[in-house]
Amino acid sequence: MNRRRRAITATLVTLAALWSAPAAAQTHDAPAARPADASPRAPLGELGRRIASAPAGSTIVVEPGVYREHLTIDRPLALVGRPGAVIDGGGSGDIIEITAPDVTVRGLTVRNTGIDLDKENAAVRVLAPRATLESLVLEDVLFGIDLREAPDSTLRGNTVGGKRLDIARRGDGLRLWRSDRCLVEGNTIHDGRDAIIWYSTGVTVRDNHGRDCRYGLHLMFSDSVTIESNRFENNSVGVYLMYSTGVEVRGNRLTGNRGPSGYGLGLKETDRFTVRDNLIAANRAGIYIDGSPFTASIPGTFTRNTVACNDVGVVFLPSARGNELYENNFIDNIDQIAVAGRGDLSANSFFKGERGNFWSDYTGYDLNHDGVGDFVHESQTLFENLMDRNPSLRLMLFSPAQQAIEFVGRAVPAIRPEAKFTDEVPLMRPVEITVSAPDAPAGAPAQAIGAALLLIVGGGLVGLARAGRSATGGVA
Amino acid sequence: MNAISAQAAALDQPVPRRAPSVPSTIAAVAGRSLRDAIRSRWFVLYTLAFAVLGLAVSFVSAAGAGGAGLSGFGRTTAGLINLVLLVVPLMALTAGAASIAGDRERGMLAYLLAQPVRRCEVLLGVYAGLAGALVASVCLGLGVCGAILAARGMRTGAGSMLWLAGLSIALALGMLSVGVLISVLARRASVAVGTAVFTWLLLVFVSDLALMAGAVAMRLRIQELLTLALLNPLQVFKMWSLHAADASLDVLGPAGLYALDTWGPWLHAVFGGCMLGWIVLPLVAAGLCFSRRSPL
Amino acid sequence: MIRIENVSKRFGRTRAVDSVSLALPAGDSVALWGANGAGKTTLIRCLLGLLRFQGRIAVGGRDVLRDGKRARLLVGYVPQELGFHDELGVAEAVRFFGRLKGIARLDAEAALASVGLAGHGGKRVRELSGGMKQRLALSIALLGDPPVLVLDEVTASLDAVGREELVGLLGGLSGQGRTMLFASHRPEEVAVLARRVAVMERGRIVRTVLAAEFASAHQGRAVLHLVMAAEHRDRAVRSLTDGGFAASLNGVGVLVHVAPEHKAAPFRLLARAGIAIDDFDITPVPERTP
Repeated sequence: MNRRRRAITATLVTLAALWSAPAAAQTHDAPAARPADASPRAPLGELGRRIASAPAGSTIVVEPGVYREHLTIDRPLALVGRPGAVIDGGGSGDIIEITAPDVTVRGLTVRNTGIDLDKENAAVRVLAPRATLESLVLEDVLFGIDLREAPDSTLRGNTVGGKRLDIARRGDGLRLWRSDRCLVEGNTIHDGRDAIIWYSTGVTVRDNHGRDCRYGLHLMFSDSVTIESNRFENNSVGVYLMYSTGVEVRGNRLTGNRGPSGYGLGLKETDRFTVRDNLIAANRAGIYIDGSPFTASIPGTFTRNTVACNDVGVVFLPSARGNELYENNFIDNIDQIAVAGRGDLSANSFFKGERGNFWSDYTGYDLNHDGVGDFVHESQTLFENLMDRNPSLRLMLFSPAQQAIEFVGRAVPAIRPEAKFTDEVPLMRPVEITVSAPDAPAGAPAQAIGAALLLIVGGGLVGLARAGRSATGGVA
Repeated sequence: MNAISAQAAALDQPVPRRAPSVPSTIAAVAGRSLRDAIRSRWFVLYTLAFAVLGLAVSFVSAAGAGGAGLSGFGRTTAGLINLVLLVVPLMALTAGAASIAGDRERGMLAYLLAQPVRRCEVLLGVYAGLAGALVASVCLGLGVCGAILAARGMRTGAGSMLWLAGLSIALALGMLSVGVLISVLARRASVAVGTAVFTWLLLVFVSDLALMAGAVAMRLRIQELLTLALLNPLQVFKMWSLHAADASLDVLGPAGLYALDTWGPWLHAVFGGCMLGWIVLPLVAAGLCFSRRSPL
Repeated sequence: MIRIENVSKRFGRTRAVDSVSLALPAGDSVALWGANGAGKTTLIRCLLGLLRFQGRIAVGGRDVLRDGKRARLLVGYVPQELGFHDELGVAEAVRFFGRLKGIARLDAEAALASVGLAGHGGKRVRELSGGMKQRLALSIALLGDPPVLVLDEVTASLDAVGREELVGLLGGLSGQGRTMLFASHRPEEVAVLARRVAVMERGRIVRTVLAAEFASAHQGRAVLHLVMAAEHRDRAVRSLTDGGFAASLNGVGVLVHVAPEHKAAPFRLLARAGIAIDDFDITPVPERTP
């Protein structure tokens, strides 16, 4: 078999394809009938044969083209794709399985896995330590990257696009299982189910972007994890920490995570956590705290976060105690702080030392100009109180009746509810944080066009009506 | 042919003349009513009030965001929804209520109906003219807000602004129908306007408060609460604009989620149907009453 | 042109119009004569389709209830008083009603000039005097040259000068083959405008006479103002009307139109009815030649 000639042909074809259409790229079909479900015994395709014949430590360069193959990498080597190299699973099974340590896969497009949830069809499955997956584009996959007992692996700059299936039929874009000390950096995950980390210690998740999934990032029983500078938007839940200890969540942007249980950040029975410098905005609930910190004697820390424009800023379940919230900005959440059920917030504190939080609904002032309001901030609006007790009343939000109730609540002290919490040293100015707000999908110019359109219609009608007058009117 | 029948023939001899078509009569009356409305004090006052309050809402919501560029998350829209809920129904109800009843009181209505017009043409014309004035008022009010927001670099999409304007207009049309019905039924203009203001109070405050009381006291189920809320055109407007401009009904809690789950893609149709009902049914009722009652 | 057949209209228990039949061939001109409350205005409102009624009214063969729009197309109507939006421009008003009558190209100034309102088109309606308003109404009624004119006590709210001007205008119109039906309780109008007079009392047409006879009976007339006790006034009006006089109630007494040679007749008549007259006053009605 003249491999060199084929490679040249492929290159030429790809060059041609750059000028015409990607679909014209040559395909490399595995010989014989492709098995419906790949197994190690299936006949090998071109890449499979090259792997099988490669010595450990070698680098296999994959030329541009579409390879319809299912690969198993069983020795430490590097599989490096040139731009335009595509491995297509043909809609069945897993596509790349790594069974040896120290394998690198880089620069490939891997697409079209099976859709079998029971077998968890994945684009790349790693079953050995120290794998490096870089600059991969995973498209139309059920599971994206699935690490099983693959500690010290690095996932960097990959893009995982899930199948556009109903959420119940999707797989996880990213999964780490018993894979300690991994680095997950600069990846984009969209349209999947969850990105989930199980039983993995010392993982760093940095600069990733997750959108349109169920859980942007889900921690289960994973300790000493750092989650920083990520963006999670338009998921059901941005980041959910469960049963984990020692988690650092900082500098992330969690926006637009909505749905029946839509949280920007959720914490369930998590210990020793710090949440700082995050922008948490426009979620159904900004932060959802359930039984955290698990060990009440070790405080949970929330500081320098901006929690803005959420339906509810922070939801405390009755079980939440021992949290310290200070130097955060609570801006324009419809409900700034809510207690679900009949709990109270007395076991949590909303200031530390001389520093409280900035509350956009604070009505006091600062005569001595020390940056701290001269009166305590107490949340006690009647409608919020009603909503906390009877959630179905949220239906009346934004209606003038709501304001009427608030007004009555303020005017008649007898029916004023008890304060939910007290911030004794509320800040007069918001705390500066470094995370920037997301770009507007349609910014000021688009709105200017809308406004102009409205003005033209309105002005036109008035002009029309007035024109009749001037035409008839004139001078007497 | 005898003399009597000849005379009878002379009596009944039809005179060949073509009456103006229905649309042209409606258009003439509508143009008249639009011009009167736009020249009237209420139009200027309401439009000014609407624009000024809208600006206040925009500025406040911008200030609240602490300059963090966060105002795009529907807070402005929510404030404007609130404003529309207060101002637009009042404007439409009173404008409608004052229309026919006022003309009747001035003797203008009898004179108008003594012309070659049908009563339904007059009613539709008056309705269309006032509708035009309301459209102008809403567009100017919201347009000024939108322009200021845009000038301040706010992040509200053009789409949500246009949705809000469109739905405000739909609400205005529905309330105008009710106002016109009141106007047709009332004996005097002052009574009509009084009834309109009362209706406004009823729709804006009383029904919602009653519903909330009901929800708490009678433990209404969510679907019951939602269904009852859908009977109020103001609630329909509110839910619809949240759905259309912000794409999230879940902000309304369990009832909003229930609506999303139950109707999903049909939500627009459900809201549209309710609103259309409020536009068409009172207007039809007004037409029936108007054609039966004396215009004097 | 106008055919009124057996028309009745009740308001509650009052019969405002009671089985009235009247036919006006094209070119005819009929005055409805009678005191206030005799049913003249109600009959006109029925004719315009403003009120529902029993019986049938057709204008030019078109039923005013079932085919009202086309029937009214044949009718120019001038009300007792013009109830306009005061802010409306004069020419604008003419244009508006012209559109309702389906007149495509309308020269508002010409229409106004024809009633002596040339140059007033730019004014607002509220700036016009009472007489000018009525002339404006007349110019609107004449738009599209309708074959029928219906006038409802058009001079009732005008002063003597305004009345004279308007009647002058109307007099110029009556000879042009138009059919005219008008309500009046002023003999001089009847004399100038009507060919026939239908005398109405309590909702009925009690007799129809030629205007010439009516006029001669009212030649050289004066108005007798009789002062009497309040309880007698209604009976007095009834007796006088039955006796052939045009009588109407007035604030403190009864007004009776009398011919010069009959000035004492009302006194005789009332004495026979046993009604005592406390005082009287007599005003001559200005002489008019048609």
